[in-house]
Amino acid sequence: MITYDAIVIGSGITGGWAAKELTEKGLQTLMIERGRDVVHRKDYITEHKPSWELPLRDARLSVGTKGAEEYPIQARTGQFRESNKHFFIKDAKNPYVEDKPFTWIQGDQVGGKSLIWGRQVYRWSDLDFEANLKDGHGVDWPIRYADIAPWYSYVERFIGVSGEKLGLPQLPDGEFQPPMEMNAGEKLVKAGIERAFPGRHVTIGRVAILTQALNGRLPCHFCGPCERGCSTGSYFSSQASTLPAARATGKLTLLPNSVVHSLIYDAGKNRVTGVRVVDAVTKQTREYNARVVFLCASTLGTTRVLLNSKSPRFPNGLANSSGVLGHYLMDHHFLAGASGSIEGLLDHYYQGNRPNGIYIPRFRNLGDDASRRDFVRGFGYQGGAGRQGWGRGAGERGFGVELKRQLHDPGTWSMGMTGFGECLPREDNYVELADKTDDFGIPLLKIHCTWSDNELAMRKDMAASAAEMLEAAGCKNVHTYDAYRGSGQLGAEPGFAIHEMGTARMGRDPKTSVLNAYNQAHDVPNLFVTDGACMASSSCVNPSITYMALTARACDHAVEELKRGNL
Amino acid sequence: MEHDDLITRRQALSRVAILLGGAISAPTLAGALDAATRRAWTSPGPDWAPRTLDPGQLELVAVMADHIIPQTDTPGGRAAGVHRFVDALLSDHYPAAERDRFVAGLADVNAQARSRHGKAFVECTSDQQVALLTALDEAAYPTVQIDSPRPPETWFFRRMKELTLVGYYTSQIGATQELHPSPFGAYRGDIPYSSVGRAWS
Repeated sequence: MITYDAIVIGSGITGGWAAKELTEKGLQTLMIERGRDVVHRKDYITEHKPSWELPLRDARLSVGTKGAEEYPIQARTGQFRESNKHFFIKDAKNPYVEDKPFTWIQGDQVGGKSLIWGRQVYRWSDLDFEANLKDGHGVDWPIRYADIAPWYSYVERFIGVSGEKLGLPQLPDGEFQPPMEMNAGEKLVKAGIERAFPGRHVTIGRVAILTQALNGRLPCHFCGPCERGCSTGSYFSSQASTLPAARATGKLTLLPNSVVHSLIYDAGKNRVTGVRVVDAVTKQTREYNARVVFLCASTLGTTRVLLNSKSPRFPNGLANSSGVLGHYLMDHHFLAGASGSIEGLLDHYYQGNRPNGIYIPRFRNLGDDASRRDFVRGFGYQGGAGRQGWGRGAGERGFGVELKRQLHDPGTWSMGMTGFGECLPREDNYVELADKTDDFGIPLLKIHCTWSDNELAMRKDMAASAAEMLEAAGCKNVHTYDAYRGSGQLGAEPGFAIHEMGTARMGRDPKTSVLNAYNQAHDVPNLFVTDGACMASSSCVNPSITYMALTARACDHAVEELKRGNL
Repeated sequence: MEHDDLITRRQALSRVAILLGGAISAPTLAGALDAATRRAWTSPGPDWAPRTLDPGQLELVAVMADHIIPQTDTPGGRAAGVHRFVDALLSDHYPAAERDRFVAGLADVNAQARSRHGKAFVECTSDQQVALLTALDEAAYPTVQIDSPRPPETWFFRRMKELTLVGYYTSQIGATQELHPSPFGAYRGDIPYSSVGRAWS
């Protein structure tokens, strides 16, 4: 049997980064992916298809519709449509147990969710890395901004991030390509908000989408629906970016259709020696060996593998001497905000489907007089303005020639925004293995997760502050909204933001955390976890670029430790 | 535009659709496609047949669609194949209960036509048809905003109108002749509307 230098489990955003870094540093690397292969360009089967070529005209496949029958969980997200359903997991074959609603959205293929992610990328700051220490929720991060800042730069230069520098301490600037442009409605609202609220900023989203060519990838052509796949490689995906780099080394072996059952642990050496894999097609079991293992199987996928890797030394899951494995699950809470109409600007329009919106960086609880007593931490907003399209006709009286004439022109402008709020790390938000097993003989995950009073108090501010800003900017018909329907109900439930993180957290103390400052298991030195499972808190910004930076940093450390003979 | 029945969630999600870029659908430039491919997409093959609607129901949908979006200097709802789209949705998308509700709504339109004019809707004169649809439209979209839920019998016409708009403006005719797709290339955030003159499809 071949012994690889490294095994990377998962091929998504972090798995791709681990494979690139480890192979470029000379390691023979096996990448194991539970889903099917997706070949760049060839397998983007709906890319650039016009609406009329899609039989359902790209209907959203909501729960209960025929196209969603095998996807009752995935269909909860508004992103799930006729044109991209093939990039989501089939729930019927991949069940889990919800104590209360927790929507687990999964991309089950080579590239993982990097094909369908939201592409918004924001650096964390010391406000985030110090938050646990300062307010006592969770354990202190073992790193600070200075530890990760060069790795953010390293990642940004490779993936390509377009955005605007703001010079804000709570949202550090990065290595940006030129920003995308705001439209006339957004510019108007920006001016109004920044005039009325000194210290608040409205900026264009920082996105992993190119506005200039980079490493053979082309700038965005603004076709719109990124999540169908991008043949020009204009947004960051494993297919467009990290996998080609890893392949170019000649040291990557990619193994799709291979479900990792558990890790093999040698108690004598206190090392992981390999992985047990179930072939997704034949259901046969195989084993692969390596000197170092990177778990990048997505937050809950990774933790499920660890919980299922039991041994006399680790009866409750591998590297779980602390007992915190599975606990401190987080997600961002969103879909609380406001929208309103913008008067005038009827001679202003835009061209191109910009896959990006505006961003309002966190302004709450920065230690100044915008701080609140009713909740800790904070939130940012994502939003955008646009002119109403033909769909408005379905909401108004009238039909015939006059309706057709009206819909020939775009409608009035409107502006909407939703907060993305930080979620506190809490022990009673956790996952465990259920008694039932799936088709591969792996116990199902049972998920327990609810919002706390802190999140719910923050949501009130997210809605009210959004309305306050829109009104100050001169918007009319301003309405607040909050999609949360209460614990146990669907509607902004945990998981819905698809930013699930935590459950194998980093920390300084092996007694209260699973991973050290380099994403290395405290208990098992040649085991690294670099996906969202590693997170000790959630910040309020989109997490993926932080996972990427942590992965690159962990790979650097792992290779140094290998060279030193420490692994 | 979405066509599902989960209103609360849909409202929230449609707001998100705006903020996540507003790129809900983006038909490509038809000019890049050869003529035979385009014909295949817009005209049914000789073997096409409805799978849910019977021929009478199909014709009823086509006639109503052509009233909602009529032919002007560009073709209307029938030419764009709205009735074929509706049959596809009923067959391959709608839950059974929603499908049955829509089909029952069609029967109700005919019942109203018979009670008013003594014949099925498609056999009424064009003026009679328009008058009946106007009555349905006025009931479905009251001018005074009321907080109470809309009466259930107005569901059908709202849905019929929505499906006509979706079916029309996402068809090749609607998306490239009546409106036009935003061209690929650069994003321009602030251009004079007069330089475009039509909404992007």
